[in-house]
Amino acid sequence: MKISLTLNGAPRELDSAPLVRLLDALRGPLGLTGTKEGCGEGECGSCTVLLDGDPVNACLVPIGQCEGRAITTVEGLGEMAHLSPLQRCFIDEGGAQCGICTPGMLISAEALLRRVPDPDEPTIREALAGNLCRCTGYQRIVESVRRAAELLREGAAR
Amino acid sequence: MSLADLHFFKMTREPSLDALCAVVAERHAQGLATILYAGGTDWMVEQEMRAPLHDEPPLVVDIGRMGELRGISLAGDSLRIGAGTTYLELERSAVVQARAPMLVRMAKDVGAVQIQARGTLGGNLATASPAADGVAALAAYDATIVVKSARGERRIAMADLQTGYKKSTRAADEIIVAVELAPPPEGSPWYWRKVGARRAQAISKVALAGVAVVENGTATRFGVGMVSVAPVTARMATTRALVLGKALAEITAEEIDHAVDQDVTPIDDVRSTGEYRSHVARALTRDLLRQLGARV
Repeated sequence: MKISLTLNGAPRELDSAPLVRLLDALRGPLGLTGTKEGCGEGECGSCTVLLDGDPVNACLVPIGQCEGRAITTVEGLGEMAHLSPLQRCFIDEGGAQCGICTPGMLISAEALLRRVPDPDEPTIREALAGNLCRCTGYQRIVESVRRAAELLREGAAR
Repeated sequence: MSLADLHFFKMTREPSLDALCAVVAERHAQGLATILYAGGTDWMVEQEMRAPLHDEPPLVVDIGRMGELRGISLAGDSLRIGAGTTYLELERSAVVQARAPMLVRMAKDVGAVQIQARGTLGGNLATASPAADGVAALAAYDATIVVKSARGERRIAMADLQTGYKKSTRAADEIIVAVELAPPPEGSPWYWRKVGARRAQAISKVALAGVAVVENGTATRFGVGMVSVAPVTARMATTRALVLGKALAEITAEEIDHAVDQDVTPIDDVRSTGEYRSHVARALTRDLLRQLGARV
C-alpha cells in the first residue's frame, strides 16, 4: 500500500504493508531510530509519537492508518545544534539517564506544553503517566518539564 | 510473537457506513471475519500473543475516520456519541463536560493519554470485557447502543447487551454506530472511582460508575455500573432497587452491603482476589451513597 504522510513537517511517501506498526515503519524504511521500542504493547510509552498533535503509542498504530496524517517524532523537536527547550532542560536538569524512555517522555511533554503552557506538577505527572522510566524516579523529569515550560513562557513574553 | 504476520493483512476503507455494512454482510455470509479497526489498542496487543497465522488473515477495514461513526450531539434530551469517539475526544467535548461529566472523569482513567487518544467507546463495547471502564459508565447512564447491519438499524439497551464473559447480543454482522443516553439535569450528582494497581495505565481491580437525581432526600434516578466483579459489567439490580425504594437517609450500611453481595460475583485473577474485590465493591457503593446523602 502506498502511504503519504507528513513526517516532522515534511511530506513523505512509503510503500508498506498497511498493518505494519508505525514504530517499525519509522525505525525501518523511514530511517528514524529516535523512537524506541520498550514493551511493544502500549504500556511503557517509550515509542510515543504525536499523531495529528496527540500522543500515541507507535507500537499500536498501523502505518496504513497514517495516510494523510502528521507524525512528529523526537527528531522533529529540535536538532543537535538547536535543541528544543524541552530537550535542553532534560539535559540541564538531569531528566535523562539511560535514554530509552527519553524520546517518549519528550514527546508526551511536548503534547502537554502545546496545550497547557503553565502546568502544575499533578498535570505534568498525569501527562507523563503513560511513560515509564526505570532510572531517574521521575522527579527530575517533572522538574525538566516545568523548567521548559518556564523557558517557553519567558520566550513567548519576550 | 507473531508480529511478522502483520505483513500479510490487507486493509481497506469504505466510503460510507452502508458500504461498510455491505462488505461485512457479504463476508459474514461466506463465513469470513472482518476486523473493524478504530484505535486498535486491544487488537494490536492480541496479535503479539496470537499463534502464527496458517490461513488467509481476516480483512481489516480502517474505520478510524469514518464520519458516520464520529461526532457528539445533544438533541432534546438525548446525547448521542459516535462509536468512533476516542476517550480524549470525550474529555475535550464541551457538551459531554456539561451534560455527562462522569464520562469525562472515567475517560481520564482509561490507560494513559496515549491510550485515550486511540481507544474508542465503540471498541470498548465491542470487546465487551467486564473490565471495561467505558462500558460500566454507559451502564450507569442506562445508555442505548445503536447498531447497524445490511439488515437495518436497531437499538440495544445496555441492560440487554452483555450475556456472558465477552459475549453480547450484538450479531457478528452488526456494527456499533453510536451510543445514546438521557443525561440527568446539569449539576446532578455523579460518581466515578477506579481502584487499580496504579493511578494510570492500570486495568481496574474494581471501578464504580454512578449517576443519580436526588429530590427531597430520595433518589428518583439511580444508575450504576461496576467493573471486574462479575462475568459481565455489573448493573447491580438489587442495589438499584434498594436505593430507589426509600429515603437515602434511611438506608443502612448493612442493607447496602447485603445488596452489593447479591449483585457481584467476583473471582480471583491476575489483578486481584475475589475477597478484596467484594470488600472494595461494598466500600465504593457505601462511598457513593454517602455522597448522595445516606448516613453510612
